[in-house]
Amino acid sequence: MDKNISFGKRPKNPLIKRVWKDLWRDRKRYLMIFLMLVVTIGFVSGMYVANNSMLSTLDNNVTKFKREHGHFRLSEKADEATIAGIESGVLADVPAVYKERAYKEAEDEVRKAVDEAVEEEVAKQVKAAITEQTEAIVKGQLAEAEKKGLKYTDDEKQSAIDTAVETAITENYDKAYEEAVKEAKRSEDYTKAFDEAIEKAHEEIDKEIDEKYAELSDRYDLDEKFDAVPVTVYELFYKDVSENADGTDDEKSAVRVYPERRDIDLYDILDGRAPETENEIMIDRMHADNAGIKVGDTLIAGNAEFEVSGLAAFEDYSTLYESNTDTMFDALTFDVAMVTDEGFDRIHSNTRANYAYAYDDAPADEFEEKELSDKFLKALITQVAVSENEDIKIEDFVPAYANQALTFAQNDLGKDKAMGGALLYILTAVLAFIFAVTISATLEKESTVIGTLRASGYTKGELLRYYMSAPLVIVVFAAIVGNVLGYTFFKDTVVGMYFQSYSLPGFTTLWTPEAFIRTTIVPIILMLLINLLVIIRTLRLSPLRFLRHDLKQTKRKKAIRLPKWRFFTRFRTRVLLQNIPNYLMLFVGITFVMLLLSFAVGLPETLSYYQGHMTETMFSKEQVILSRTEDDDGNRITTNAKNAEIFSAASLERKSDVYNEEVTVYGAAENSRYIRLEKDYDEKADADEVYISQAYADKYKVSVGDTIVLSEKYEHKDYTWKVYGIYDYSAGIAVFTTNDRFNEMFDKDEGDFSGFLCNEKIDDINEEYIAKEITEDDMLKIARQLDHSMGAYMGYFQYICIIIAAIILYLLTKLIIEKNERAISMTKVLGYDNKEIASLYLIPTGITVFFSEFLSIYLAYTFMSMYWGVMMMKLSGWFEFTMPFSGFVKEFVLVFAAYLVITVIDFFRIRRIPKVLALKNVE
Amino acid sequence: MSEQERKFLEVCGLKKSFGSGDTKQDVLKGLDFTVAKGEFCVLLGPSGSGKSTLLNILGGIDSADEGEIYIDGDKLADMDEKSLTKYRRKHLGYVFQMYNLIPNLNVKENIETGAYLSDKPLDIDELLKILGLYEHRHKLPNQLSGGQQQRVSIGRAIVKNPDILLCDEPTGALDYNTSKEILQLIEEVNHKYGNTIIMVTHNEAIKEMADHVIKLRDGKIRRDTVNTEKKTAAELDW
Repeated sequence: MDKNISFGKRPKNPLIKRVWKDLWRDRKRYLMIFLMLVVTIGFVSGMYVANNSMLSTLDNNVTKFKREHGHFRLSEKADEATIAGIESGVLADVPAVYKERAYKEAEDEVRKAVDEAVEEEVAKQVKAAITEQTEAIVKGQLAEAEKKGLKYTDDEKQSAIDTAVETAITENYDKAYEEAVKEAKRSEDYTKAFDEAIEKAHEEIDKEIDEKYAELSDRYDLDEKFDAVPVTVYELFYKDVSENADGTDDEKSAVRVYPERRDIDLYDILDGRAPETENEIMIDRMHADNAGIKVGDTLIAGNAEFEVSGLAAFEDYSTLYESNTDTMFDALTFDVAMVTDEGFDRIHSNTRANYAYAYDDAPADEFEEKELSDKFLKALITQVAVSENEDIKIEDFVPAYANQALTFAQNDLGKDKAMGGALLYILTAVLAFIFAVTISATLEKESTVIGTLRASGYTKGELLRYYMSAPLVIVVFAAIVGNVLGYTFFKDTVVGMYFQSYSLPGFTTLWTPEAFIRTTIVPIILMLLINLLVIIRTLRLSPLRFLRHDLKQTKRKKAIRLPKWRFFTRFRTRVLLQNIPNYLMLFVGITFVMLLLSFAVGLPETLSYYQGHMTETMFSKEQVILSRTEDDDGNRITTNAKNAEIFSAASLERKSDVYNEEVTVYGAAENSRYIRLEKDYDEKADADEVYISQAYADKYKVSVGDTIVLSEKYEHKDYTWKVYGIYDYSAGIAVFTTNDRFNEMFDKDEGDFSGFLCNEKIDDINEEYIAKEITEDDMLKIARQLDHSMGAYMGYFQYICIIIAAIILYLLTKLIIEKNERAISMTKVLGYDNKEIASLYLIPTGITVFFSEFLSIYLAYTFMSMYWGVMMMKLSGWFEFTMPFSGFVKEFVLVFAAYLVITVIDFFRIRRIPKVLALKNVE
Repeated sequence: MSEQERKFLEVCGLKKSFGSGDTKQDVLKGLDFTVAKGEFCVLLGPSGSGKSTLLNILGGIDSADEGEIYIDGDKLADMDEKSLTKYRRKHLGYVFQMYNLIPNLNVKENIETGAYLSDKPLDIDELLKILGLYEHRHKLPNQLSGGQQQRVSIGRAIVKNPDILLCDEPTGALDYNTSKEILQLIEEVNHKYGNTIIMVTHNEAIKEMADHVIKLRDGKIRRDTVNTEKKTAAELDW
């Protein structure tokens, strides 16, 4: 042995160097995976960041922009005393005040009546006395004269008497009457009579007021005593007028104009500035976007022309609900605006006396808020009732927690987060599998190298770390880049989506740990686990098996015998059989894409089906729900609309851990033409048996004979019913019974009802008696708004699906060709031309894609229907996931088109494989 | 040479079979031999004689059914998988008929994969010069001839200065001249670094350059001879 051996330093692990070389060698593949991960991680990260930042901002804005705790609208402006009364939050003693007022009125009237009676009596008596006295005197004088020989006829006598009486009355009556009246009023009789009359009047007043108040008290539970709920009341008056802006569509919008807001429900200016002159107006940013209105544009509100000075988000209108009873918000044709006080005066229209209120002691949670609002409503009702202005009425009362304009956006933000998260995990899993399959192919390809390294002393751990490096590096880099994009570009994209639906304020981007965990930690773990499983499974094999290229986990004993087909067919079949694992992966990839496509194609289809079907199943074109069923005169409210019939409706809740669903209970008139219950239902069904809507049955999987439990929303009262039948109604979650049964169930009087159903327009009922009017158009608002908010994205989403399909197909077919490179090279050497080779290696893939598509379309549809069901469980209402045949065809064609593009790339890939490959040992 | 050095590798009653039942095939039928430290030992035999299986068992990548192997006094059978890996890492170098180089690492980096396994590897540049690869050190394997690739593979095995260099038909895929070059290289390595070399071959001519020749046939040692008058690799002819 040579003694002069020189030793060197132990080098750094050369396999680390190789990781980068591997990445560079397979840069196209890795780039595809990287890009897909970046886009998905970025988008989902953006979603979480946007969500978190927006929700935090909205929370902070409650204080910053002084959000109301609720608002109420009165029929006219209230006087100071009434406002003070309302602000005290005390339950006013309505009967006492009413009685006092009535007593006062009654006293005057009684006194007037008694006085009139007394005066009449006194006048009668005084006249009689004067007449009697004068007659006696005149008669005496006449007798004296007759004694003296004068003779008078009877007529002359009577005439003399009459003249004397007349003169006497003229001369003495007034004085005598006055004195007599005075005397009479001083008399005890007078006092007695007056007291008796007053007492009788009081009795009548008490009876009438007590009766009326009992009714009111019954309705609003006014007997309950509670601590005062002091509030501060702010004028938040507005005028509802038409809106027309330059360059907008012909369709006119409605705008609710407020004067300058200073103390409550402030606003965040997103563009321009607040109005400073009487000719300037600031409108809602969301509506402005929809209507194409910009700062500087001219806008006509009612009769007045304004220049748009700014676009803002108003604290109390994050969702543009015109009325809280609207089924859906409408940012397309409804606008909210603010002008200066002088500008407000320029608009000639009724000022709606709307007041916002804020509790002096803010409630700690929603439960307390509900409790406070119930109490405050009672105080409000009584305080308005005792207002000096007896004509004043409450027209609207909406506590903040029930105000859709305030809460809808906030509740809605975040619902899509779950879906984005699921999408990310599925895609990461698919990519991890693609990685794993790639690595598996690499392990097979490098089998002898691995064998040599293992034989040389490399540990499994070292090799595992090496083969895990590429996927980890990719996913870590993708996570970093994705997160950066998430916090910048994609956050803005998602916010842009939110801004397209809601009137949201400007916000500050917040560091969101959840986004980091879900879009970075979870995908990394997912990638790690899936790859770890595949690599460990292979690396478990002995070095010898690697050296012998023997990596099959299960050994196929014999080659499958094929029938005597044509040679090419058999060849292709062999290719197919040999690549089964890769084709399985291809199938998984296609199924994943189909799942996404199923949503992208299915959602618009479902919405349009829903739009069409919902109007079909609505039992009448118009439903009018009355706020009261008797008019001011106590007459039952009726309509002359043709075929209108009464019905009852009540809102209950189906409570569950996931979601409390609002259920409408309908009471149908006997032999109703709109709600057609079976004729013998009333005779056959037990008292607790009801119909449920088809939507109810479908959503909650309830069948005939099952028991359902529904509860009052804010009271601890449950109703337990048995399902008698399923009523074909898909437009809502509902329960049906007859009106009589309804009244019994809800302890109402016989003959009570809630409103009218009709196919004609009901326009003969005074609007003040109408609580809610639901027309076909209102029902379609949901679909219209969903279409507006999501419809546009679905188109893009379809393209994204095609790109994902193309990438997945690219990655997997690349693998298949790489695996067969040597064989392909050999067939070239044997003399096959490129077309023949392509037909041998591409047709099996084409066939696989073709059949995979059929199966995966079916699987995706089944899964999507299930997922849709789960998703709808968290939303109100129900409509099934629907896909017409044309939708399936579209899915099929889109994916196959993507495949055909990839096939062209694959053809060129096959063409580039050199013949020498088969003959050369490249290792 | 001490007894320990004389019995640097000791194989006792080694048996190995593949399959079971009717298909059971005895590959090694009880082998006993020793190899001295620094010895150049050739395992000679036709295809199927069990020589590669024997080499794999010696290299700790296959296990025997019966019998014992001692290397420098350590019993191979007592080692679990982890210890075996460590044993290979510290004491063995492997050269195969196929070079099994990492395609996207250059010559030097491929040799570094071996150097990384040792705490005290040979000087790579010097080794590259000995291997005649210094000017090719930046080339990728597919830019090299078969002989050059086999040199890289020898370099990778020898760089960690293993106690034993196991060569499985290292010239099997090479032409006459290249084979001779490779054999000369192995001879040079043996002289320079003093590693014990066990080479499996079916080429009878190679036995002439070995210190020790073990001839196998049908899983048995047919002849175990020590070459007293060995030739140099350059003198070989076949």
